[in-house]
Amino acid sequence: MPSVIRNTYTAVIARGEAWGGRVETEPYEAAWASEAVFFVRALAVRGRAPAGRARVQISPDGMNWADEGTSFRLPVKPGEVTFAKVTNFGGWLRLAAQVPPKAGLKVVATLALKG
Amino acid sequence: MNRTASLRADPRLSRFDPLPRIIYFDDFDDGMNGWTALVGNYEDSIDTMSRSYARHTQPMLSQIAHWDSGTHGAFDGTYALKVATRPVKGERNTAIKRVTFRKASRIRVEVYFTFKPEANELKLSDQDVRAVGLCFDLQNGAHRVMPHLRYLNALDGERMFKWQFKQTTTPFRAIGGRGETVTHDHLAPEGWEDIPGGGQKLCYNEIPTKINWHYLRFDFDLAEMKWLGFQCNDRAFDCAGVNSIVIPAMKNLWCMLNLVFFAESDTDKRTFFYLDSVMLSGEF
Repeated sequence: MPSVIRNTYTAVIARGEAWGGRVETEPYEAAWASEAVFFVRALAVRGRAPAGRARVQISPDGMNWADEGTSFRLPVKPGEVTFAKVTNFGGWLRLAAQVPPKAGLKVVATLALKG
Repeated sequence: MNRTASLRADPRLSRFDPLPRIIYFDDFDDGMNGWTALVGNYEDSIDTMSRSYARHTQPMLSQIAHWDSGTHGAFDGTYALKVATRPVKGERNTAIKRVTFRKASRIRVEVYFTFKPEANELKLSDQDVRAVGLCFDLQNGAHRVMPHLRYLNALDGERMFKWQFKQTTTPFRAIGGRGETVTHDHLAPEGWEDIPGGGQKLCYNEIPTKINWHYLRFDFDLAEMKWLGFQCNDRAFDCAGVNSIVIPAMKNLWCMLNLVFFAESDTDKRTFFYLDSVMLSGEF
């Protein structure tokens, strides 16, 4: 019997990882989903540099990546959560983050999918 | 109604041979069905998690799309469960489903599976996947028992093509300061032994973007905590003398019936382990 409610899945794409400089999350396949929200929560923050940014990237094959056009600020203090919403992303998603020099984050990054 | 006739008349069930009671039948066209990441234990800080577990990532629903041929799709429908390692030699990843048993009976797991390395080189790449496998994590009134089975495809660049089991885990490590949590790494690379007569060549196909599905059946007796045998495609393997990791029962795992699928890479390339569907059945 077809499901009468939509599917959803929350994938933790970075679990307590230290982010510094340029970071790309592992590719995540989500062709079944029609909408996604990336969340980044800071567990710890090092340095007092300006906030870093994360860009949403998409891919035709999980190997070759392009900027989707959405980007968002990374957290600047422990416990802060920042996020971005995307739709029409095809089959693959990842985050490409850039943390300023002399700064570092420990993060939990989450991908909330629905479709 | 005759049960066998009923099962065989259903195209989704006809390719399985379940024991009398179906505990779960997970077709990944319907969603994740409770399969999730296997994280390690921790207390107070996530930094207390063992590195090998901290590296595990979340399973995915994959259409098995390739750069050269588009969507391959699953055995039936579109989606398969995908366990992907990171692109580092010796990395592993897992997917787990956690239930409990209501009777210590015979159990049988059946899956249709395949595996491939990431297709980022225009060559055969058949030695990039180290292994794929399954393990149960079980507990009765006396012991925690963990039968492990893997297909060792390649090791350090050499084709191996054989089934293995293991009976040893790593020493327990206490986590945190409250004496409540410990960890051990039962999937550590050490301690694998060959299944007697366990050599088997599988259909890999000719380029990394062509896949073929394989059938695997694994039978275990929860009452005796004993291997009963397994089958892959046309080969059935007698498991006399094959045993599990056995450790003393732990204080909060009674009647545990966890099933884990895992993948290991042999080069700095992602290993992809795909499961079209998983059938767990029991004799009760």
